Amino acid sequence: MRNDPIKYFFIWPALLIVLGISIFPLIYSLTTSFMSYRLVPPSPPRFVGLDNYASLLTNPRFWQVTWTTSLIAFVSVAIQYVIGFAVALALHAKVPGERLFRVTFLLPMLIAPVAVALIARQIFNPTVGPLNELMTFFGFPNLPFLTQTYWAIGALITVEVWQWTPFIILMLLAGLATLPDDVYEAAALENASKWQQFWGITFPMMLPISAAVVFIRLIESYKIIDTVFVLTGGGPGISTETLTLFAYQEGFKKFNLGYTSALSFLFLITITVIGVVYLAILKPHLAKHR
Amino acid sequence: MSIRNLNGRSRAWALIGCLFWFLFTLFPIYWVIITSFKTSLSVVGQARFIPFVDFEPSLLAWQELFGGVRGEFMNTFIASTIVSLSSAVLATAIGAMAAYALVRFPFRVKLAAGLVFFVVALGGYLLGANVFGWSRATAMFAAFGLALLLSLLVNRVRVPGPILGNDDIIFWFVSQRMFPPIVAAFALFLMYSEIGRLGFKMIDTYVGLTLAYIAFSLPIVIWLMRDFFAALPVEVEEAAMVDNVPSWRIFTGIVVPMSTPGLVATFMITLAFVWNEFLFALFLTNARWQTLPILVAGQNSQRGDEWWSISAAALIAIVPMMVMAAILSRLMRSGLLLGAIK
Repeated sequence: MRNDPIKYFFIWPALLIVLGISIFPLIYSLTTSFMSYRLVPPSPPRFVGLDNYASLLTNPRFWQVTWTTSLIAFVSVAIQYVIGFAVALALHAKVPGERLFRVTFLLPMLIAPVAVALIARQIFNPTVGPLNELMTFFGFPNLPFLTQTYWAIGALITVEVWQWTPFIILMLLAGLATLPDDVYEAAALENASKWQQFWGITFPMMLPISAAVVFIRLIESYKIIDTVFVLTGGGPGISTETLTLFAYQEGFKKFNLGYTSALSFLFLITITVIGVVYLAILKPHLAKHR
Repeated sequence: MSIRNLNGRSRAWALIGCLFWFLFTLFPIYWVIITSFKTSLSVVGQARFIPFVDFEPSLLAWQELFGGVRGEFMNTFIASTIVSLSSAVLATAIGAMAAYALVRFPFRVKLAAGLVFFVVALGGYLLGANVFGWSRATAMFAAFGLALLLSLLVNRVRVPGPILGNDDIIFWFVSQRMFPPIVAAFALFLMYSEIGRLGFKMIDTYVGLTLAYIAFSLPIVIWLMRDFFAALPVEVEEAAMVDNVPSWRIFTGIVVPMSTPGLVATFMITLAFVWNEFLFALFLTNARWQTLPILVAGQNSQRGDEWWSISAAALIAIVPMMVMAAILSRLMRSGLLLGAIK
């Protein structure tokens, strides 16, 4: 650590932009969350205290939406992490065709979620989609991929896994490249099996970057909207509706600004709690391997 | 041949797994490409997989697309390109600078200063807008400036309370990313409209959208670049300091070249995020600076089940990112970006 006034020149641009464009609007919407404020039909802002929060917490729809979002986020990130780590290990160990795989495996991450959802709608089409063709071959024609709750949630998770496993592959590959070879040479001298090497060396040393990557994905998954919006529209009923989609319906279909602001602050609290618990669970493990 | 390479059976299993994932990854992309060459005849009835064998390919969807039947694709494409390239470059540059400062220099921010910023910004805005009867934008600007000044002042003087270090500042930056974008997008829309009433047009302008995207990308850039910078050996920089090289020269001349792979990876992720971003573009643009995802999403509701034209539209949004990935992976492979680390 060294001291030099130039550090302010380095940090101020980022600080100003974040303060002005991210923090300041939030303060504005925090004030809105304590008001009854509608655009359609227009009603002037009126202070109502915690009424918006109270009515949300007693709304069963809020709890169902929170549950659906958590289910999609946790299941899809768990699958992404397991597959992503396996693929990253294989690529790092120079599996045949590794160069080709490296390029193709990153592609899904680069595609707009809106476009992915449009493609998924075609593939999951229950009558003329290719997946139906495959399932018909196995004897299960016309499965209700997008029109029955658990099938639809499964479809959403599949799309999430397809699109975001590449992010985990990319980050873990970068992490694997920084691991020193000498530890493995020592382990090989001791006749440690590949399995032992993984649990004894690779996994612990990759824990910090794993923790970061899973954290990012978890938080991002909670914000899911474009995929759901195009793929199921929250249906059937509201059974695949996520928090952001719920906020969209309240805010931009009903223009209920106060209620939507309160909803988003509850959403923020939920995410903060998840984040803090996550870091608290991981902290002892991270400290051990520093 | 590295010590960590696989051999024998495990190599074969790894290959089988990778091949399976390869097919899973590529099939949807293959499907959207062939569907864009179908017509209504080859979509109904059953799924058709192989062009020329299963169905007769047609250029209908593409002719309609470039013929302008489906809206202004060219303008939207150019707007999307300009906005995402410039915001990705700026976010990576600004974020890398901040991350470097946070890794190498000590910062001390008093918690009290942060609280002062929050309270003054909130109270100043409410006072200005409701008591003094200023326009909302004027109240916002006044409150923002005042809050910034007062918090800087508080940070100078002796006040009780905890002092935040570098890790806390990084956590603060990264935590911006946790906020649900839907409320940020709408609050920003309201803020921009208020500023617009003062005569500075922000909605549907290049500046407004790019600023929003930079702010939206900074947390992730800082998080990623912090890890890359922290992994760099500090000895090289210390040697340069002994020779009295100024800090900014150390940054541009030594640190940036050494961390090029990290910078490129971060740039690529930021670019993809911005190019594909939906919510901010939806609320902050309406015509001139509308981006591709908005236009593509519109196809779904406008065209019903005309899968061929929807596929062509989706491909326009997909292809540039694929081309970029191909170019960047070439650069990576050629070792051009490996720099001084090896």
